[in-house]
Amino acid sequence: MNTHIIRAEALEKTYEDNGVPVQALHAIDAGFEQGEFTVIAGPSGSGKTTLLNLLGALDTPTGGRVIFEGTPLAQLSKSQLAALRLRKFGFIFQAYNLIPVLSAVENIEFVLTLQGIPDRERRKRALAVMKELGIDALADKRPNKMSGGQQQRVAIGRAIVTDPAVILADEPTANLDSATGASLLDLMGQMNRDHGITFLFSSHDPQVIERGRRVIRLRDGRIESDVLQGRS
Amino acid sequence: MMLLRLAWRNIWRNRRRSLIILTSVIVGLMAIIFVEGVVRGFMRQALQNQLGAHTAHIQIHRAGYHDNPDLARLMDRPDEVDSALADERRLAAASRRVLTLGLLSSARNSSGVMFVGIEPERERYVTTIVSSIVAGRSIGMGPREILVSERMADALDVKLGDKVVAMSSTRDGKVGSELFRIVGLYRTPISEFDRYHVYIPYATAQSLVHAEGLSAEFAAIILPEADVTQVRDSLRTVLGSSYEVLSYEDVIPTLVMQVELTEKSMLIYYVIIGIAMIFGIINTMMMSVYERINEFGVLKALGMKDLALFRLVLTEAALLGTVGTTIGILLGSGVTMYTEYAGLNFAWFAEGLSSWGSGAIVYPEFKLSSVLVGSLLIIVMCILAAVHPAFKAVRLQPVEAIRHV
Repeated sequence: MNTHIIRAEALEKTYEDNGVPVQALHAIDAGFEQGEFTVIAGPSGSGKTTLLNLLGALDTPTGGRVIFEGTPLAQLSKSQLAALRLRKFGFIFQAYNLIPVLSAVENIEFVLTLQGIPDRERRKRALAVMKELGIDALADKRPNKMSGGQQQRVAIGRAIVTDPAVILADEPTANLDSATGASLLDLMGQMNRDHGITFLFSSHDPQVIERGRRVIRLRDGRIESDVLQGRS
Repeated sequence: MMLLRLAWRNIWRNRRRSLIILTSVIVGLMAIIFVEGVVRGFMRQALQNQLGAHTAHIQIHRAGYHDNPDLARLMDRPDEVDSALADERRLAAASRRVLTLGLLSSARNSSGVMFVGIEPERERYVTTIVSSIVAGRSIGMGPREILVSERMADALDVKLGDKVVAMSSTRDGKVGSELFRIVGLYRTPISEFDRYHVYIPYATAQSLVHAEGLSAEFAAIILPEADVTQVRDSLRTVLGSSYEVLSYEDVIPTLVMQVELTEKSMLIYYVIIGIAMIFGIINTMMMSVYERINEFGVLKALGMKDLALFRLVLTEAALLGTVGTTIGILLGSGVTMYTEYAGLNFAWFAEGLSSWGSGAIVYPEFKLSSVLVGSLLIIVMCILAAVHPAFKAVRLQPVEAIRHV
């Protein structure tokens, strides 16, 4: 019996670049189980971000399908996809992408607001997450008053506060120095172990790849290798 | 609450741009509230001056007199009308008059006039003519006294104490004449009124036109003014078809209609101001949306639904409109209410205002309900202005929007 929480079947994506069709992904087949800590690696242009976007219901494939918890995403409406992203996925972006006019705690609370959680409860949950991530002292700071590492920690808080099934992290350490990157990877590893959250990374950062328990290497939109590693 | 906070903070991301659009809303609304107050005050004053000078709230004549004010149509039983009026509890004051057209001549000039025969002790409670005397005194001490306007005195080249000769047709088709001495000069805010009306004692007017015991018109003041129509209808029932009982709306329908039309048309001014503001708001919101494409992509990626995003953009415009409108109302109302108390001196075009009947000092009239309706309209227009930018935000694809730099 299939135990994949999320699965790509013959997934294809073709873009138009100045009127010229460019195939970013070629018939990708891959399944991901609950609790995985997987890195999709590859050089620039290999299709790893495209694959992550398709798996996270941020983009639609031009061929094949993505199945989440047994439901093909193509069957869902725009509104259902938004609800799915809100309740089941957490996103961590390379550029952090916090909302600049909200403080750190408000940024984390924001997704709970979208879920309709009452004021007091969402503040409580947001502060608890901040404490767990060791950033409770930043609660009232706006993103422009925080370092890149601090912003990425807030972004991790925003991603995990809803207890998502899967967190998709697109090059999460690309804008950070290696020490900060390493500490964030430690943190995500701990979230993965403690909460059983599935992490899917796209990265070409060796220290991210090294920590992945599973590494899928892409080249020119095709899976080059898919291997399990010993540590996280 | 979080979305409201987010919308509020988004407005102030570009402080200068928001302040410019807010200023345009505030100044626009302030101006329209003030202009509305001035126009409303101007029209009301013209109407009230007309009522105060002569028309009063209700006029009673013999049937057909209003359309054809002939001496053959005088009331031969004025006591009957007096008695009906005395029974009306909402009657504040009433006077009776004899009116006739004629010629007033001095040694040097002559002018066509309307002779108004009045009983000053009754007329002073109905019209402002006695209180409009600027030189001399009111008539009433003797039968050959006449009260003319300053303008008329100038036209006839006479002064206080001079003699003038009045000539008018009589009821029996002859020409009656009397010699009068000018005992008072009056000035009302309506220059056109002053040009024609001269006042003589009631009994003398009856004698001038050979109509002893007859009256041309009763003028009455009703309190409260809102009951005028009711009282008119009630008097019609009491007096029957031999008389015509007219409210001021029947006597001067054009002026009343102009006042009402002007008040209603003020809404058009709000729409015009609103339309002018719409373009500013559209521009502001479009710029605001284009600056945040990446952020909207992130919001969508996080699971914000299209409707919520649409609402966020609309809320930002609504907040801009509401803040601008609130400040605009406060400032506009403050200025209007102050000038309502202090008056505005339009002396530099007093002649035009005087011929219209409002007088050179205009007291703007502040009407909260009208201001609120107009302001609400502007807020709605601000929100409508954000619909297009909001659709732009909603139509963004998350992946493309996040990639946008």
